[in-house]
Amino acid sequence: MKNKILMGLAAIAMVAFLSSCGKVPQAEIDAVNVAIDSAAKVEAGVYLPTEFAAVQDSMKAIMADVEVQKSKLFKKFGPAKMKLEALLTQTNGLVANTAVKKEEVKKEVETTLTDIKTIIEENAKLFKKAPRGKEGAAVLEQIKTEMATIDAAVVEAQASYDKGTYMDALNKIKAAKERATGINTELKDAIAKVKRR
Amino acid sequence: MKRVYKRLIILVSAASFLALIVYLLISYIPKPPAKEIEKARIALAKAFKSKADTYSAELYVEAKANFDSAMVNWQKENEKFIYFRKYDRVSWFARQSIIKSKQGIETSNLSSSSYKVKLKEKILKLNDLIEDINAYFNRYPLPSETRNAISMGKLNLKEAEIDYNKGQYIPANKKLNSAEDLLTSSYEKAYSDLEQYFTFYPQWKKWADLAIRESKKNQCYSILVDKLSRKCYVYLSGVKKYEFDCDLGRNWVGDKKKMGDKATPEGMYRIVNKYSGTKYNNALLLDYPNEEDRIRFNHEKAKGLIPKNARIGNGIEIHGSGGKGVDWTEGCIALDDDEMAVIFRIASVGTPVTIVGSMKNLQQILNR
Repeated sequence: MKNKILMGLAAIAMVAFLSSCGKVPQAEIDAVNVAIDSAAKVEAGVYLPTEFAAVQDSMKAIMADVEVQKSKLFKKFGPAKMKLEALLTQTNGLVANTAVKKEEVKKEVETTLTDIKTIIEENAKLFKKAPRGKEGAAVLEQIKTEMATIDAAVVEAQASYDKGTYMDALNKIKAAKERATGINTELKDAIAKVKRR
Repeated sequence: MKRVYKRLIILVSAASFLALIVYLLISYIPKPPAKEIEKARIALAKAFKSKADTYSAELYVEAKANFDSAMVNWQKENEKFIYFRKYDRVSWFARQSIIKSKQGIETSNLSSSSYKVKLKEKILKLNDLIEDINAYFNRYPLPSETRNAISMGKLNLKEAEIDYNKGQYIPANKKLNSAEDLLTSSYEKAYSDLEQYFTFYPQWKKWADLAIRESKKNQCYSILVDKLSRKCYVYLSGVKKYEFDCDLGRNWVGDKKKMGDKATPEGMYRIVNKYSGTKYNNALLLDYPNEEDRIRFNHEKAKGLIPKNARIGNGIEIHGSGGKGVDWTEGCIALDDDEMAVIFRIASVGTPVTIVGSMKNLQQILNR
């Protein structure tokens, strides 16, 4: 009789043990979700879109794992918990990397803004010299208008930079720099033509 | 012994019954659609990778919504007692998500590759258009708004090219459309002005042919100015002897209408005086306005096409200080000092000077 009672208790303990393994790792899930929200807030989708998509996909896969375990009689959330912990580290890393990438883009915008300002200044000086030539200065009027357009583009890029939308600023300033460089070459060519005469 | 067997049989039967019960209990637990969900997740990730969220956004959104619904339904079912769970809807949503993701990938691949081709074509086309604009209108006195539009168009095209090279076709297309609007409308406007201007071509041709014929017939010098090409030709006995570049009045398109309009007149003139050491060094004064100019001026004034207090103007010269490569005079024709010296030496009072819009017709000019 004593043995039967002991066996019964052991069975209950076994069931209790098995079911205790079946607790959803909600705290870990919440932590990862918070980290993903943080990544979205720092614009990981803009600066590191592939990495951000990978994190979101991993979370989907883990959540599917969790549901698979929840569907079972004997649940086992250990592996999911481990994956969540790894994903949390990965997501926190993504947040940090996004900040680094954002800083890189910001620096690139700053450098390009400095570069373009130098080119614009040089263009203004070259422009004054160019009309003294002959055929080389044939496009002066259009160049003058384009220089004004580039100035406006720089102002727009600066506004995007001030707003913190560095990627937009970078695209705009890169195009403006290419045009300014093109004008610089045109002006230098026109001046060189005159000097050759 | 019999009792032992009996007990053993009972025990085995009980164990078998229990095993059967456990087997039945386990086997009747509804199977979750884990594989379908996994497939749906992978398909969705692939759709994102192929940029379906951009190029077939509607399908991608549907796929994502179906996947989310599958997960929500799965979670709901898992909250029920284990034997009451039904995963049919979960499976259905997962399958729908897979279908939509696949369609999204297909559409995205098709549209992104066709986008790519279309955008490349558009970029090439617009670069050609810019080349044409530069070739025909760089020195054409376009209104400032048209010049601004051309300039903005060029910058938009540059931005579009940067986006295109990054594989960002949607923003590239947006910028290309804007560049196309600006450049095409500017070109059309400028072209229509040019076309209008060239309605005078038969008259110009008549004047130019006559000037060359007269030069041949009278064995004399004749000066011919082609405004569009900014060329000043000197003919002797009907043969072209010199060809010089020249600058014109800032508003050179069209005939001179009145004093101060900064236009260079068109017509057949003669040199009436020669001056040295003027503000623009050597200068050859033309007989503008001639009789024909006066008749036209009075006619246009009478019709109200020019203000009543307008004056016809005078003092149109071929002079030095030119060669700037821009049109800057008040209506005169300016040559580089060295080249002006040549013309000044050979020209005399009475030398004919014919000024035409162009010696080539519009088709010849556009064919470059």
